[in-house]
Amino acid sequence: MMNRTATIPGIRSEFHPVKIVFIIILLSGLAVFPFVSDNRFYISLITEMMIYGLLAMSLDVLLGYTGLLSFMHNAYLGISAYAVGLFLIHVSPTSFWLACLAGIAFTCVVALPVGWVQVRTGGLAFALLTLAFGMMFHTIVWKWYDVTGGDDGLMGMPNPDISLFGITIGNSGDPLVMYMFTLVTVTLCFFLTRRIINSPFGAVLEAIRENESRAAFIGINVRKYKLLGWMMACLLASIAGVLFILYKGYIGPSTMSAFAGAGILMMVLLGGMGSLWGPLAGAFFFIYIQDYISTMTEHWEIYLGVVVIFLVLFLPTGFAGLTDHIRRLRKE
Amino acid sequence: MSGTLSIIVDITLNSLVLSGVFLIVAIGLNITYGLSRIMNMGHGALYAVGAYTGFSLVASGLNFFAALLIAPLIVGVIGLIIERTIIAPMRKRSMAYTLILTYGLMFFLDGSIKYIWGNKPRFIELPEFMQGTLPILGTDYPVFRLMTLLLIIIIMGALMLFLNKTKIGIILRASSTIPEMVSCLGVNMSYVHMGAFVLGCVMAGLAGIIAGPLTTIDPLMGGEMLISSFVVIVIGGLGSLRGAVIAALLVGVVQTLAEFFITDLAMVIVYILMAVILAFMPRGLLGEGKFE
Repeated sequence: MMNRTATIPGIRSEFHPVKIVFIIILLSGLAVFPFVSDNRFYISLITEMMIYGLLAMSLDVLLGYTGLLSFMHNAYLGISAYAVGLFLIHVSPTSFWLACLAGIAFTCVVALPVGWVQVRTGGLAFALLTLAFGMMFHTIVWKWYDVTGGDDGLMGMPNPDISLFGITIGNSGDPLVMYMFTLVTVTLCFFLTRRIINSPFGAVLEAIRENESRAAFIGINVRKYKLLGWMMACLLASIAGVLFILYKGYIGPSTMSAFAGAGILMMVLLGGMGSLWGPLAGAFFFIYIQDYISTMTEHWEIYLGVVVIFLVLFLPTGFAGLTDHIRRLRKE
Repeated sequence: MSGTLSIIVDITLNSLVLSGVFLIVAIGLNITYGLSRIMNMGHGALYAVGAYTGFSLVASGLNFFAALLIAPLIVGVIGLIIERTIIAPMRKRSMAYTLILTYGLMFFLDGSIKYIWGNKPRFIELPEFMQGTLPILGTDYPVFRLMTLLLIIIIMGALMLFLNKTKIGIILRASSTIPEMVSCLGVNMSYVHMGAFVLGCVMAGLAGIIAGPLTTIDPLMGGEMLISSFVVIVIGGLGSLRGAVIAALLVGVVQTLAEFFITDLAMVIVYILMAVILAFMPRGLLGEGKFE
């Protein structure tokens, strides 16, 4: 499944100066954007892009680095979002950080036994198990009307204030505050994940992706590391879930459906797996196209389908593969 | 006493009908996967196309049985076009890409269905003689469901005969085991893959028009059936026809029982069943990676 060759850890972790400049321009551009533009619509669209970018990146840790395919990674975003929402509604409507912690902790508690079962298999069986568990969570959320609100989704969630070291930054119901909070969180998560992936731990994950039995022969506990990779991906997804519910103030079962899950997979493949930034870019592109087409026409599914088919046919390695290709051309 | 008996008869027949529909959809998916290693995410949408085409044919005044023949053929032609234009160039790529490609296909087909037939639920009008009920052991069972059961048995018999007795069927089965050898014997593998894909599509279309009168026809039916047939072929073992038969019966019975007793969370039981089986038998019940 993976045809990206393994790179020696350490070499990739250094940033090229051009890249540093590019990242700084991009980040400051994103940070300044809401003050320059008054367009509320674009502010919330970019927030959504960043949240889905984080989710796509978390799937990339699993798919691009560990070589495990998860059809329904959005289920863990959903679980986390529901946990935060329920915590804010039923336990404490004001404690922001406690709610975030509750969402992340609950997702990890759910993901651990699921991961324990899943890592006993591999390849297609793993992928289909993720589908089974994901559909299970989706059905529970959909049908358990008393707790989750069923088809209507979880509504009436209070908006707590975000405060840091005793200073109140703003209310999480304010799109601008959520935009900034999301930007900071996603940026931190990106650099942290990058650091972890470029550590020896990341190298072990890549060894498992490249050849599982060889990794086992040199003494790596394959199941343990697969489980750790899985937990890391679920942890990142749960952070995305926390951001999602705070930004939307609402979550419904359709966010956790199989089709939404395949959409996340598509973001990763569009961006190119095994590059971390690729899936982020893929998510930006995917959300934009989906949004653009759905405002243009009622029958957006047809056009989305055509776009996806053409992208897979003509740009199979994603955006990351495209830049690799350009770099190779310039060297020649 | 007769009340309990009639409930038992009802549940048994209902689960058999449900299993039968699952079986035909899942076998179509399994044939495509077993022969050409393509997991068609658009299979559910093709099933819905079959149902909608059947509806349109019957609504335009055609005999139900004629529609039963024509609708799968139309879906087969659609499958042929899809295979030649987008699936064939992708064959050498890894599975993740064909998954995503057929996922795009699913969007396209679902969108086209909504474009052509709209969001309104539709019903297939049945011929006069199939609308009544038949008393069986104290329960009045709809004639149509019994006819469906009969049709499913006939279709499965015909498929088995086709795969076991005709030359094309034997080539198809051989190609799943040793494709290189079949290729060396002068068979054009490109046509074999095409045949497998089209056969899978025809099965999806058949299942669609058979299941049409059982349920309402709406744009969501494809997605639901896709997931169900995934569950069936995963439990049975990917590529295994016998496994699919056992798994379809198992899932059909479990789902009907669960719907009878706990109604709301019925599908959760089915997914837990799948998870438990896969956790202990990662290849499914009969999965050897072979197609037989």
